[in-house]
Amino acid sequence: MRNYGPIDDFTVFELYPDIQLTHDNIEHYRALAERKLVINRCGACGTWIYPHRPMCPECWSWNVKPEEISGFGKVFMFTLLYHERDPGSATREPLPVAAVELVEQKGLRYLSRIVNCRPEDIRHDMLVRLTWIEIGNLEWPAFEPIPGLGSDARG
Amino acid sequence: MARNRFNDTVAVVGVGSSPYGRDLRRSHLSLGLEAAVRAIEDAGIDKQEIDGICGSGMTPLAQGGAGFLSLQGALGIERCTWVLNGWLGSAFVYAASAVASGLCDTALIVQTYQRDPGMSRSANADPFRRALQKFGDVGGDIGGSDFAKRWVHSGEPYAAWMKRYMHDYRTNKDAFAYMAVNNRSHGSRNPAAVMQQPITLEDYHASRMIWEPMQIYDMDVPVDCAEAHVITTTERARDLPHKPVMVHAASLGGTRCGEYYENTLGWTENAHWVAAQGLWERSAIRLPEVDLFYPYDGYTIDAVGVLEAVGYCAPGEAGDFLKANWDEAAQVLRLNGRTQVTTHGGGLAQGRAGGANFYSEAVRQLRGSEGARQVDGAKTALINIGSFFHDPSAVMLRAE
Ligand SMILES: [Zn+2]
Repeated sequence: MRNYGPIDDFTVFELYPDIQLTHDNIEHYRALAERKLVINRCGACGTWIYPHRPMCPECWSWNVKPEEISGFGKVFMFTLLYHERDPGSATREPLPVAAVELVEQKGLRYLSRIVNCRPEDIRHDMLVRLTWIEIGNLEWPAFEPIPGLGSDARG
Repeated sequence: MARNRFNDTVAVVGVGSSPYGRDLRRSHLSLGLEAAVRAIEDAGIDKQEIDGICGSGMTPLAQGGAGFLSLQGALGIERCTWVLNGWLGSAFVYAASAVASGLCDTALIVQTYQRDPGMSRSANADPFRRALQKFGDVGGDIGGSDFAKRWVHSGEPYAAWMKRYMHDYRTNKDAFAYMAVNNRSHGSRNPAAVMQQPITLEDYHASRMIWEPMQIYDMDVPVDCAEAHVITTTERARDLPHKPVMVHAASLGGTRCGEYYENTLGWTENAHWVAAQGLWERSAIRLPEVDLFYPYDGYTIDAVGVLEAVGYCAPGEAGDFLKANWDEAAQVLRLNGRTQVTTHGGGLAQGRAGGANFYSEAVRQLRGSEGARQVDGAKTALINIGSFFHDPSAVMLRAE
């Protein structure tokens, strides 16, 4: 990955031109550019807050800051994409898209790719960990099975 | 008389405002949440009592905005039986009618506005504001390369209407000037107003020309801000901390103008006239009983149009009428010697909130809680917010 140096707001806008950046989510993308996955967290009650909000939905504290997550989670639900949204696109090898429930909090889910795993081997509640893949000269988060560990429930 | 399902059975119980500023460096959602929290706390209710939300904007799914989908999750409100987004004056009426109909018992309205990149060079240099425009959605193309579509959702036809109005009624800009000075005088007494300096009639006439004959002091001031209101049944309101401010009657308005605003109908047939007529067909409170008048001032011609639409004077006579009702010492309007107008300064002075701050001011005045700016004995307020061309509101509020 390129070294972007200090990543100011303008650089984040340049790196992610098709993302709707706001004052509430820009820290997430600034961190992605540094190969870190961060989620907003309430400094008052500890609740993880996603999507990115400036205020805690539980205790209404505005003391909300991005914090790096452990990178561990499990597959809550997923589907295999044989087609892009373009109805004219050809059928292709399926692309898994998975809602990964992060270990940090019940219901805290991050949508991502599952890699280093055959699509037919993905199971519900399968344990996964964060990894990074390069797409379009940028690194993006993805999740992969944890070697030696299967799912803690049948898929 | 038409049916009036409001008839004082629905009341505003909470009001909340964010700070107003030219550059607050915050998202729509952030501003909306601050106003929402203040309104809910002002109402003195648990947030889970809210079962209806009218968010900001024209689409339900707008990210980064303060639509109902974002607001409900971000506020941690568990269950709503009614949700919608809206803007300008109609959002308030949607929420009030949802409570009146029984679709929900307690509705939260959140309206956010930001200084858009098209409004100044400095705004356009801000990448966050450019993103607002890039990802904003008003439900279709606005102008683009086809000059013939330039007046789809445009402010320019208001300038053309000023010119046509002066031509048809052989009048001058007095009416617009008095309205602008009135609002700036009131704004100078409102600590929340972005424009704290009053202006004179001479200042108005000397101000920068924008769209001839519309000048800079004819236009509301773009700011970052949010307003929120909580509406519930009057029965429930009697158990809450503030004096209930009841929705007596309301109307919306639509015409056959269509989305190309050059096809606007005649001056006395535009949407404000329709909404005003709808209100008078429903309200037992008549114009002479109105203590406070809040005509929308996106442009001064909005306020002048509303003044004539509700019947303060005949079409084309606003200039003479306002001159005759001008308090020279205070530099404010007192209609028929008493009714004050836009007591917070409106969009021309406090800042552009799509009219949502007119409702906030009216409620605070009718509660009697405006302190130094309080109008003694105010019991009724007439609020007309919105566009010549689409969905204006006409609302009569009253306190006991
Ligand atoms: Zn919290």
